[in-house]
Amino acid sequence: MSELINLSLTDQILGLADKSFSSKEITGAYLNEIKKKESLNCFISVFEKESEEKALMADENIAKNKARPLEGIPIAHKDIFCIKDKKTTCGSKMLSNFISPYSSEVFSKLDTAGAITLGKTNMDEFAMGSSNETSFYGNVLNPINEKLSPGGSSGGSAAAVRANLCSFATATDTGGSIRQPASFCGVTGIKPTYGRVSRWGMIAFASSLDQAGIIAKNAKDAAIALKYMSGFDQKDSTSLNEEVKDLQKEVDADQEHIIGIPKDLIENIKNDQVRDSFKNAISILEKDGAKIVEINLPHIEYSLPAYYVIAPAECSANLARYDGIRFGHRSESVSSLEDLYVNSRTEGFGREVKNRIFIGTFCLSAGYYDAFYNKALKIRNLIKSDFDEAFKKVSSIAMPTCSNSSFELGSINDPVEMYEQDIYTIPANLAGLPALSIPSGTADEMPIGLQLIGNYLEEGRILNLANKFQKLTNFHEFK
Amino acid sequence: MKITEQDLKNISLLSKIKIDEETSDSLMKDLESILTMVNKMDELDTSKIKPLTHPIENTQTLREDIEKKDIEREKLQELSKEKDSGFYLTPKVIE
Repeated sequence: MSELINLSLTDQILGLADKSFSSKEITGAYLNEIKKKESLNCFISVFEKESEEKALMADENIAKNKARPLEGIPIAHKDIFCIKDKKTTCGSKMLSNFISPYSSEVFSKLDTAGAITLGKTNMDEFAMGSSNETSFYGNVLNPINEKLSPGGSSGGSAAAVRANLCSFATATDTGGSIRQPASFCGVTGIKPTYGRVSRWGMIAFASSLDQAGIIAKNAKDAAIALKYMSGFDQKDSTSLNEEVKDLQKEVDADQEHIIGIPKDLIENIKNDQVRDSFKNAISILEKDGAKIVEINLPHIEYSLPAYYVIAPAECSANLARYDGIRFGHRSESVSSLEDLYVNSRTEGFGREVKNRIFIGTFCLSAGYYDAFYNKALKIRNLIKSDFDEAFKKVSSIAMPTCSNSSFELGSINDPVEMYEQDIYTIPANLAGLPALSIPSGTADEMPIGLQLIGNYLEEGRILNLANKFQKLTNFHEFK
Repeated sequence: MKITEQDLKNISLLSKIKIDEETSDSLMKDLESILTMVNKMDELDTSKIKPLTHPIENTQTLREDIEKKDIEREKLQELSKEKDSGFYLTPKVIE
């Protein structure tokens, strides 16, 4: 049955529908693989018995011709999405005992569409990290080379898809946490437009940047998964009340593309292999009929500094809720209320999370607010305007996902060097634009990604372009 | 950018997270290197630019004022280690 787990989501849906195989078989095959590859540390929880039961129910629904769109498809959720009565840790000691009393909208939507949740994937603590090394549950290994990082923060989801441990996985992206691990693991990852997918029940890091998305085997699979995850949700005040387009149809539609290339950025890529592979990818798309236009994003180099004020500022406010009283880790050694707050937080958070809370607290404190936070918000406006201007001329923007391929676990100790991992991915978060990463070549024998950024609510267009690329190349194929 | 001992004390107090002596040097180094990177923002004159707090212009939508019971109080309180008769317990605040 191991060949079932290699199939794309598209083929799994077809195979289940024409009864070539059952959900019981495919679910069983994934559960076996998860056990076999436990040392990759992709999962924080696995729901073996429940998955098997749900698979039987799915097979009944299929037999009765009552199959829902994702009936019987085994998937994984990043452990940042609350699932009722299930442990939701967010990769932190702080939430290691947290059993969610409600479900996230992301889980509910995919569950309603018939998907089976195999388990919850490992991640950097509170989604803060680019290597998966900040997880309280230990780092994930890159399935292609276990000495290397799978990327982060959605490293568990990316590695699980690459290692064939689920059909697709949910993930989140605040500054690159879907696209960078997708690039490192040679899979396809999409962060939709801010507000396209509900944040209800998704543990908050930086609320104006956080967005849920999908990591899948290819663009077509990502389009199908995203279609069933998207939509307006009244429970999320930032949810967009806009029609959900049929991404499944759009991904295969006949569309013309005008691709914007930020010339300065490309010329400044230091890694020759990354630059050459990018140019090669663009020439493939150009030969296929896409029009290539040079664009300017004059303020893009200020994305990283602006992000490292805004994200920590929002993080320090969001994580103030962890006080040891109502939920989360509560310190045993307390003699006063102040002790309870301080000791619970000091014991519950890891080093990187503390660093970000400290930076955010500093930037928001009296005397520094204007110089840091307000300044960063103004730069955010400039970056958004750069994109608005560019999208008057182009239908998508291309750049590399990362400036390098995966690195050795434990090799980056300087926080700024780690933050630079997200130098190309952060701009889309600041502007709230949809962006994806698809495998487009290799550097140092490891995959690297091509990033495609779309205009607001145009995830269909970048998925269409990604699908075109994947029809012309085989960088995304793996067994 | 230089971070002083006093800055560290203030940050620790405001964030309610202890900074122990063993890690304070390396923490200071980390924070300084992050803030130095952040200081690149000063190269830009933004005096005439409006701050953008949110990428999407959206206003709060309101639902009908009908009681919902999708999250139960008892279930929420089960998550706390210390509670009694529907209250959360903390160490004594007033002596």
